[in-house]
Amino acid sequence: MKFPLSILAGSVVALALGTAAASATDIETATGAVEIDRTPKTIAVYDIAALDTINALGVTVAGVPDRLFLPELQPLARTAEVVGTIFEPDLEALNALAPDLVVVGGRSARQASETARVAQTIDMTIDGTELLDETLARIETYGILFGKEDRAETLAATLDEDIAEARAAVEGKGDALIIMTNGPKISVYGPGTRFGWLHSELGIPPAVDDLGAGIHGDAVSFEFVASANPDWLIVVDRAAAIGSGEQNARATLDNVLVRGTKAWSEGHVIYLPAADFYIAAGGADATGRILKAITEGFTAGK
Amino acid sequence: MSVPTGLHPSPRARPGLRLDLAAAIVLFAALVVASLLVGVGDLGGAGGLQLLVVSRVPRTLAAILTGAGLAIAGLVMQTLAKNRFVEPMTAGTGQAAGLGILAMTILAPGASIALKSLAATVAAFAGTALFLALVRRLPPTQPFLVPLFAIVYGGVVGAVTTAVAWETDLLQYLDIWTNGEFSAVMQGRYELLWVNAAIVAAAWWVADRLTILSLGRDTAVGLGLNYAVMLQAGLAIVALVAGVTVATVGAIPFVGLVVPALVARRYGEDVRAVLPIIAAGGAGLVLACDLLARVVRFPYELPVGTVLAVVGAAVFLAVIFARPRQT
Repeated sequence: MKFPLSILAGSVVALALGTAAASATDIETATGAVEIDRTPKTIAVYDIAALDTINALGVTVAGVPDRLFLPELQPLARTAEVVGTIFEPDLEALNALAPDLVVVGGRSARQASETARVAQTIDMTIDGTELLDETLARIETYGILFGKEDRAETLAATLDEDIAEARAAVEGKGDALIIMTNGPKISVYGPGTRFGWLHSELGIPPAVDDLGAGIHGDAVSFEFVASANPDWLIVVDRAAAIGSGEQNARATLDNVLVRGTKAWSEGHVIYLPAADFYIAAGGADATGRILKAITEGFTAGK
Repeated sequence: MSVPTGLHPSPRARPGLRLDLAAAIVLFAALVVASLLVGVGDLGGAGGLQLLVVSRVPRTLAAILTGAGLAIAGLVMQTLAKNRFVEPMTAGTGQAAGLGILAMTILAPGASIALKSLAATVAAFAGTALFLALVRRLPPTQPFLVPLFAIVYGGVVGAVTTAVAWETDLLQYLDIWTNGEFSAVMQGRYELLWVNAAIVAAAWWVADRLTILSLGRDTAVGLGLNYAVMLQAGLAIVALVAGVTVATVGAIPFVGLVVPALVARRYGEDVRAVLPIIAAGGAGLVLACDLLARVVRFPYELPVGTVLAVVGAAVFLAVIFARPRQT
């Protein structure tokens, strides 16, 4: 009885492979359309935003970076193999895993040429200014790629709802300044930066119009914040995002000059979930949590 | 005017000094006024006085205290190493201070700035002591080996710090923390820098002994100096300035190098005579560079460490290529 069974199993695998090979498809990546075999089985992911979305779709990920940053992704540490860091893939570990597909993006995008030596690699970087559109597009793409179209549709619908709620919540509430704290120092981010989607896509007017577009923001003094005098402060704590447990954003901002702003005196200070915003923005669940924080903050503040 | 060895007649005897001093005071006063006036906030508004008190005065004082402290630390380090081309921030002291802050961040994340300064000072002391112990083994006939060794040593200590930061994912955090910058300075956030003022005073107090120390161990002991104690005192001065400064505003290069070297070239090696000039020169240089840091990308800030690296490198090259004037 054993013999026919294994033949049967073999033919099922062959059939599955045949189907997969037959359904090679073009998918949209950060570097253009890429032809790819559908429903890759063994996947390694080096980007937290991509990992967040793929995980939310219910796809099993086999290889992950050593740090997952988001508490929501921690369960993966038990089930998946560690294949390096987001800055430095461990090619030996990756090779041992023998993945069908490697996904990089953002901080790990530069490693694409390295990991491509082991397996087909796609760059799924999400940009800052059209982040929400790209997040939705990625959800759809991953849905097709991994054969999870239904789940993808549900995720996209939920996110659409969150977006609509956030847009409604910020409407007519005044302008905002996005601040990142770095230990004792601060920098600000304008419409053209990686956090610019809060302005361009949610419709929150920037408190300062001509902010530069440096990816790391622009270092400013507290005098700058006082003189910008925004209606709202949207704060992300970089130290908290990377999990260093350092001096918190509130302590950094709690000084005479910031206390004098409209935002601080009216309690209009919104602390975003730092890792979601700084590390995983563009991930389906992470982006949802950011939008909820925006909605809650702007609604509570009236 | 002077040969950079030995004792000199008091510079007070020199006719050019009074004129220099007058020009320096005017320039320094102008820098202070400019520093009080330049900033993003509007001094003419209702909160103008408050802005002056909580932001501009602290920032100006922070630049002065940092500059004076670093220049004196540079002077003391050059005296200890008997070489004009070393300074704390490039010879391992600043890097060791960064390592101290990093260690404190890992072991006790919530530690106060004062505790971090203490850790930075202890690490800076150890790092500088090791540097001086190693420098002593270099052949005295090859003075340029010392700065080369200093750069290598600073690089090695810096590499250790980088490696630890890399392993603990604190690399960018440490970079931002230790990149010298006054943008976050305001009332209540710089006061630790007054330690530098105390240290400048202490250096003034032991100035004559430092001069004797610079003559070398044998001569110094022959003149009745307690060499070991003075060496420790000098080390403490360098380490405290580096520790407090790196923890409060970050590492600021070149001040400790160019100011003492330039001043000694013009006014001689008598520590008591040149110390006030060096302190004021360091303060003025840092103040001027911080003004540039505020103005170049207004209303944004440049790190003053970056400005000083550019300005300092230019001045240092000028010092190397200019021939010392001989009497």
